[in-house]
Amino acid sequence: MDDALISLEKVTKVYGGGTRALNEVTLSFEKDEWTTIMGPSGSGKTTLLNIIGCLDVPTSGIVRIAGNEVTGVGQAALTRLRRENVGLIFQQYHLIPYLTALENVTLAQYYHGSPDDSKAVDALKNVGMGHRLDHPPAHLSGGEQQRVCIARALVNEPAILLADEPTGNLDQTNGNMVLQLIERLHEEGRAIVLVTHNPDISGLGDRTIRIVDGSVEQDSKFRGDRNGE
Amino acid sequence: MGVASVLIGAAVVTALFTVSLGVGDQVGQEFTKYGANLILQPQSNTIEIGLPGVNMGSVTEQKYINESDLWMIKTIQYRANVLGFAPFLYQMVTVGDGPNAEQAVMAGTYFNKTIQIMQPASPQDPSEFTTGIADVSSWWKVTGNWITDQNDTTSAMVGSNVAQKLNLTVGDSFKVSYAGAQNGTAATNVKELKVAGIMESGGAEDNQIFVNLPVAQDLSSRPGKVDTVQLSALCVRCPVEDIASEIQGKLPGVVGTTIKQLTNAEMGMLDKYQSMMTLVTAVALLASTMGIFTTMTASVAERRQEIGLMKSIGAENRRIASLFLAEATLIGFIGGITGFGVGIVLAQFIGLSVFSTTMPVKWEVLAVVIPIAIGVSLLASALPIRRATAVEPAIVLRGE
Repeated sequence: MDDALISLEKVTKVYGGGTRALNEVTLSFEKDEWTTIMGPSGSGKTTLLNIIGCLDVPTSGIVRIAGNEVTGVGQAALTRLRRENVGLIFQQYHLIPYLTALENVTLAQYYHGSPDDSKAVDALKNVGMGHRLDHPPAHLSGGEQQRVCIARALVNEPAILLADEPTGNLDQTNGNMVLQLIERLHEEGRAIVLVTHNPDISGLGDRTIRIVDGSVEQDSKFRGDRNGE
Repeated sequence: MGVASVLIGAAVVTALFTVSLGVGDQVGQEFTKYGANLILQPQSNTIEIGLPGVNMGSVTEQKYINESDLWMIKTIQYRANVLGFAPFLYQMVTVGDGPNAEQAVMAGTYFNKTIQIMQPASPQDPSEFTTGIADVSSWWKVTGNWITDQNDTTSAMVGSNVAQKLNLTVGDSFKVSYAGAQNGTAATNVKELKVAGIMESGGAEDNQIFVNLPVAQDLSSRPGKVDTVQLSALCVRCPVEDIASEIQGKLPGVVGTTIKQLTNAEMGMLDKYQSMMTLVTAVALLASTMGIFTTMTASVAERRQEIGLMKSIGAENRRIASLFLAEATLIGFIGGITGFGVGIVLAQFIGLSVFSTTMPVKWEVLAVVIPIAIGVSLLASALPIRRATAVEPAIVLRGE
């Protein structure tokens, strides 16, 4: 667990009103591991992703990201940890509508403190969007917008990519294209945590965690098994 | 919406500031319609006469103000507040001859006199000042014409009562004679005059005949002499008494008397005017603040996802705050600039409606309005910006 990229020890999250979203969850995520988190709606998947991504803090328990303990740190430190370690891929892409594809990517660089147009262009070319640099999101298809979102998540070279239902808003063709892209990024050595309730996708990762009622019901690792190795 | 709110506030502030700055001239000129508020007279020596234990009254030595000293009025510290003045030299004259002759008071004065200021108080000061009775008595109703030529020695403006008594109409000629002493012997000077206009003031002036000052001085053989000077002075931030005492210092032997009732009324009017403008400005700025607050609050609410996204990809609170601060500053700047333009138009409307004249564009108002507009915009944005920085980045994943 000490070598883990992310580790959670007895993490509990209780929202105002007493809703217990996570209940003493203990997990660790290794470098270059693709983990798929599954579970029914309201099971705590997104809360878990929020905590892994430093978007939220647990009510109790310990969270470590790249060796840094997240528990008890302030918002500014949490933002810095997120900025330096995490890339986020959203179901609804969340591109800024009045910025071009390139500007949406460079925005992440700007907040990271390392704006570099050529690197942003490379990130977009890497996801097959080199020909759409100056297009605003409204001129892009859903699949293209998701690829811009992935380029934005990648541009600062984070240690881990967190994807929340990345194919949820896409048709099968575009969904497959995005999954192939995520698979390629994983093969390049990136840790991936993907939240989905699509069972077809769960088989693509190295590991599947099933969350039910805020607790880990199943944690299956099949690295190597999937390819018959 | 935000720019429109600032625009309205900035326009009102611009209009009121422009009118306020122009008011020194415009209200001042307006006040001259109410006549002089300061009278200059020569200091007279009064000598008690009588015998021990028997008081036989007093005699007052006749003294004059020298016409040649009048330019010094425009060299006092508050010279800009001296809006106009008119000297008067009075004498009893006989109008007409024979059994229909009537006694009347003739007053020599300035109608439209350009005075040379021999030693201007400042190099920037003009070397001339044009003034006259129209500056202190502009409410007169005149049938016919004002005398406009300062060298006109044959025209007279006749009071309505005198004109009625003598059956004079505009264009009529009449004779005036002044009986006085010349070189120790009795002498009568006669002058033929033509009625340029018949004036009506509702006061003592209706019983008088007005001519250019040199005409009266010649007729009564008192060259360069003046009995009194009526002066219209306006001082927004100082009492008129200060102007009177300054003139007394410049013109020895002259006593300045303020017409307190009128002066106080003028000051009261100005105070009320300033208070009203302050109130209207405050209300306009409050309305602007509310408008911007509403706009920025709506903007933050509409952009919660965007703010959450920015935070989720690494934006710190100061980045989010600076984004909205920049937006508020831009709204303030654009609203201020456009509001200034609209305000200038509004000021012209107020100027033409209230003072029957246009208001000069004061560029220094722009230097005041822009910071006010930006300040109001930033102030109104403070709470919405606080709300923006409180947006949790997790909302982008929760899909709220």
